[in-house]
Amino acid sequence: MMLGGLGAAIRKDLRLLVRDRVGLVFLAIAPVIVITVAGFSLASLYGASARGTSPYELPFCDEDGGRIGSALARALADEPAVRLRSVASRDEARAVIRAHQSGLALVVPAGTSAALAAGDPARLVVYTDPVKYLEVASLRVLVQELRHRVERAARDRAAAGLAKAAAHAAHVRRRFERTADRLRRERTRVAAALASARADADERIDAARRRAAHALDAAVAAVSAEREAAVRSRLAAELVPLQRYFADLGARQRDFTAWLAAVREKAGRLADRMPPPPTMPEPPPEVAELATGEPAALTALTARLLPPAAPVTLPPAPAIDLPQPPDLPELALPAFPEPPHAVLPGSLGIDETSVTGAPPKLNTFDQNVPGFSITFLLLGMLLGVSLGLLDERDWGTLERLRAMPMPFTSTLVAKLLARFLVGVVQMLALFALGRLAFGISLGPQPIALLLPTIGIVFAGTAFGLVVAAIARSREAVLPVGSIVIVTMAAVGGCWWPIDLEPPWMRQIALALPTTWAMAAFNDLMIRRQPLAAAIRPTAVLLAHGLVYLAVGLTLFRRQNA
Amino acid sequence: MTEPLIVVEDAVKAYGARIALDRASFHVHGGMVTGLLGPNGAGKSTTISIIATLLAPDAGRVTVAGHNLPAEARSVRRILGFVPQRLALYPTLTATENLEFFARMQGLRGREVRAAVARVLALVALDGRADEPVGQFSGGMRRRLNLACGILHRPRVVLLDEPTVGVDPQSRERIFEAVETLAREGAAVLYSTHYMEEAQRLCAQVVLLDDGHVVATGTPAELVAQTGMRPRVELRTARPLPPGWLDGAPEARLVAHEGTAVALEVPHDPDVASVLLAAFRAGGDVVEMSVHRPDLADAFFLLTGRALRDEDGTRE
Repeated sequence: MMLGGLGAAIRKDLRLLVRDRVGLVFLAIAPVIVITVAGFSLASLYGASARGTSPYELPFCDEDGGRIGSALARALADEPAVRLRSVASRDEARAVIRAHQSGLALVVPAGTSAALAAGDPARLVVYTDPVKYLEVASLRVLVQELRHRVERAARDRAAAGLAKAAAHAAHVRRRFERTADRLRRERTRVAAALASARADADERIDAARRRAAHALDAAVAAVSAEREAAVRSRLAAELVPLQRYFADLGARQRDFTAWLAAVREKAGRLADRMPPPPTMPEPPPEVAELATGEPAALTALTARLLPPAAPVTLPPAPAIDLPQPPDLPELALPAFPEPPHAVLPGSLGIDETSVTGAPPKLNTFDQNVPGFSITFLLLGMLLGVSLGLLDERDWGTLERLRAMPMPFTSTLVAKLLARFLVGVVQMLALFALGRLAFGISLGPQPIALLLPTIGIVFAGTAFGLVVAAIARSREAVLPVGSIVIVTMAAVGGCWWPIDLEPPWMRQIALALPTTWAMAAFNDLMIRRQPLAAAIRPTAVLLAHGLVYLAVGLTLFRRQNA
Repeated sequence: MTEPLIVVEDAVKAYGARIALDRASFHVHGGMVTGLLGPNGAGKSTTISIIATLLAPDAGRVTVAGHNLPAEARSVRRILGFVPQRLALYPTLTATENLEFFARMQGLRGREVRAAVARVLALVALDGRADEPVGQFSGGMRRRLNLACGILHRPRVVLLDEPTVGVDPQSRERIFEAVETLAREGAAVLYSTHYMEEAQRLCAQVVLLDDGHVVATGTPAELVAQTGMRPRVELRTARPLPPGWLDGAPEARLVAHEGTAVALEVPHDPDVASVLLAAFRAGGDVVEMSVHRPDLADAFFLLTGRALRDEDGTRE
């Protein structure tokens, strides 16, 4: 019976909700409108939107017209968080600030670029409206960052120039040293060349001498050879009859031999009986040699016949006294000075690392969607649970239900369960919408969002029961409930980051369920923490819910007893 | 007579210093309608609330079907049909949805629910409007549905707390018929009202309450008889009636005679005709006549010295 009754009560409450147009609007449409409006209104909560949807207007007056002004203007134009508004004068910049159109204006005074180029200090001028604290702070940081960027660029350029000059000096030094080396080597070479030239001259004189003697010997030899040749020629001519004789003699010997051979042949068997022919005497070998006409024989005969040529002795060559080569002066090059080791002071940069997992640029809707969803969840619980119970009281159904077998506590629990389910669906739907419409982060584990969602819906549902038990009428519920819920939402960080609140208020906020819910949602969605980050806040939320439930049931039963 | 299903003995209930119920005692039997009659503030709703388990008596004994209250409230609720004075309906739900919900809360399931809903819708003649939101109903239809929601589970004990407040005559008649049906089916019906006519019409027994006290119990006839009053006839004639004109109706007793206006008492209703005939014979043209029979209001007045209702008898 209990379960059946619970189911019937839940169905009944869901039907009541579905037919309550105002309630549906409050549950579904109102949060969407408020989240949208608040989201865009508070888009600058974390500074201007990184998506460029809500840039700060920055009046910019470039009196300088030089490199610095151009560089700043270019950098600012590329910054999505800023909409650059060029103004003609300082007065116009100040007027824009006074007209509340911007929180900060930037002026680049005339001569800034020249002063910096000359190494002189220069100052940018900033006009602010301190009332626009966040805008001023954001733009100031941005301008400072750009100033640092310009300074860093200038320093980098100076460092690069210095490095280039140092490199050039080193190069020149190396060239000087190479040239000095070459000069030294050249001097040594010249000295060696001079010595060599002297030796060469001596050698050439000796050579000339030798050539002259040789030429003379050659001339003598040539004359001798010519004479020998003439002698040999004449001798050869003289020996021609002899040579003919010997040739004829030879031919006759061969004929005789042939005749003899023919005689012997004809003699036949009588040849052996023939007497040997008579032998002729051999000519003397010297005559025979000459008869051959061989040059060697002729040369030998000529050499024997001709008297050797008398040796020709040249007179001694005159002595040539070459001058000593000049002594080269010693090369005393000065040492090339080391280029000065100029070091610019280093620039101090900042390396920012998000250790919580939160990205550097935040989507304001990551804060606003859960924050206003919780607010409307609690207001919905005020309407759904508190006013719902008061409605039942006014309709008399509560009295009737109390006279029925279903335990009254079960009736209450059924109503709370129905609103709990509606609350969870409402939260999830708003998160889905936030994801689709505003690109909110659902964290690394979207399923983890269920934990704080269940926790805050449970706490909110039970809190609605407490309000219903305390408030005696509809007229009391709205002021009491809305004051408490608005306070809880505001202090708990639903409307703005809780870190904007002073520490003492943050301590107080720990007593509120909204604080724990937002802590979990911020950890999961903004800081991109895993599911484990939501466990403790969820446990606290469930504890809140249990306490509210116990108090609410006790008060409600006592009130209706 | 069967054992009473509701027993109230010396019940006391106080709200702070104000005593709403002071040693009240009465019994309610099954199969009949018992009227709880009294002016506003007499303690009727407190009595009903105690029996409906919504309030605990400060003293005295209250039992329902033998179950002591408030100790056995859960057992009592199973056999109890409570129809509160205030409409106890969900205005945005249809009649069927209201009935189905309360049926399930009474412990009915499945086909039992559908059958019970159909039965009570027919009983209160709302079966043609079953699927309309209650918010679109007239006051009388809501009252009928309010009654239907309390009797879905065929309760042995039915508590009706002023069930016809603000109801049109047609709806009231429907409610009366439904109540009579319940009694015929054996239920013990405790009917709280400050309308004397309803008590006389419906109730076999009446408990007269005044200022937290039970001043009298009995059938309507017994209570009226306790007054010793007779039916009173008032006539106005065109001309003054002559002396002795009443001789033809000796059972009538002249109470007042002033000009053309005459007031007299008769022992029984049929004797009114004799009076009219006598006046006619005496030549008096009757231009206006009223008969006032003694009723529970008279009995109440006689017993308490106070009128049952402050108003002049017009309905709310």
